[in-house]
Amino acid sequence: MKLDFEEVSVAGLTKSYGPTLALAGVDLSFNAGTATVIQGSNGSGKSTLLWLLAMLAYPTRGEIRYGQYGVSRADGLRGRIGFVAHQLQLYPGLSGHENLVLAAKLQNIPYAEKRATDLCEALALGEYWNRPVRTYSRGQAQRVSIARALLHEPRLLLMDEPATGLDVKSTASVVELIEQEKQEGAIVIIVTHEAKFASAVADRVLHMDRGRIVEPAV
Amino acid sequence: MNTLRAAWLVALKDFQLELRTKEILTSTGLFAVLVVTLGSLAFYTDPVSSPDVAPGVLWISILFCGILLIGRSWALERENDAVFGLLLAPIPRASIYIGKTISALVLLFAVELLLVPLCLIFFQIEPSGIMLPLLALVFLGSIGFVSTASLFSAVGIRTRARDLMLSVLVFPLVAPALLASAVATRELFAGATVTEILGWMRILAAFDLLFVGFGVWVSRHLLAET
Repeated sequence: MKLDFEEVSVAGLTKSYGPTLALAGVDLSFNAGTATVIQGSNGSGKSTLLWLLAMLAYPTRGEIRYGQYGVSRADGLRGRIGFVAHQLQLYPGLSGHENLVLAAKLQNIPYAEKRATDLCEALALGEYWNRPVRTYSRGQAQRVSIARALLHEPRLLLMDEPATGLDVKSTASVVELIEQEKQEGAIVIIVTHEAKFASAVADRVLHMDRGRIVEPAV
Repeated sequence: MNTLRAAWLVALKDFQLELRTKEILTSTGLFAVLVVTLGSLAFYTDPVSSPDVAPGVLWISILFCGILLIGRSWALERENDAVFGLLLAPIPRASIYIGKTISALVLLFAVELLLVPLCLIFFQIEPSGIMLPLLALVFLGSIGFVSTASLFSAVGIRTRARDLMLSVLVFPLVAPALLASAVATRELFAGATVTEILGWMRILAAFDLLFVGFGVWVSRHLLAET
């Protein structure tokens, strides 16, 4: 059963990899219909935060709440989370369309083939949607990855450098998609270094340094 | 989504990838032919003693081909971090392990369908009457081996020492099943009837149940990072 939530909050979120502290007690909350952009230098903990929110990693300490639900309801929550990771998490041997159909079937979406085809059209994947992903440029693969994150109409949309490799026109269509997701009540969290893209989508900008939110005070 | 349906989708994806590239079957099939050919040339003495040597060559080939095949199958998951696409889906973690085990088992069995007749030809063993029980033995022996190797490959997704772990941990763990398989094959080649090797088959089936059950139980935790 897919679970619904209006807010995501983290309290005292800490993650360490051996002796390396990636997140050092982060307290934050994110509301429905807003886009938060997180910026910071390399290794400041931005991507780690997204991985924890996507439940692909577990915190060393602290808690993540998806509305009234905790990570113990992971199976129901995963159906409400879309994640565009920096590594695209696509099968290079499958076509963009096949990757999307697989994801749609795993998300238990009815008419998976149709949904995948509709998204290919919406993201203007054009003539290359039926070719293996390994033949795509970074920008083309990035669009498939974004389509995969949107397949199941996620409540929480996490994006790690979503504008990487995209041309001006594709970046504009991604900005439009993010606006659309916000209007539909999604909680959008984006990690990006691109100031122009950030200013186009952000309702709030946070800065991270050495595992902490440093600006503004939250 | 229930575990078996999700597992089937994962396995289907592997078959789709293999149909497209034929990478695993080609590399493993060629390797199988090479090992059996080398084994038969190195160890063949005469038609009387060859049934004593053939089981060893057959099971060593299966073991090496299996490790190669499973390693390649999980390498597909590491490419582009694709496995995390599966981990993002609202499916039971065990279904990924079960799906990967099913696909590896089917692909290995396809290689074994080439390997077994080759082994019989090279060692001049009369196939009539032993072909079906031999294939049953090979299949039973492969289930335990593949399920254990898949489990450690799943662990290896997040570790760098995956190849070392696969060879250092899997071989000792599956040794009892492999020994049972090799002994049962030797007896079959020596003229034992199906009834006479039924005891070995039961032992293999018990090992399989144990390995698969343990794999399903443990995989729920292994695929999640802590």
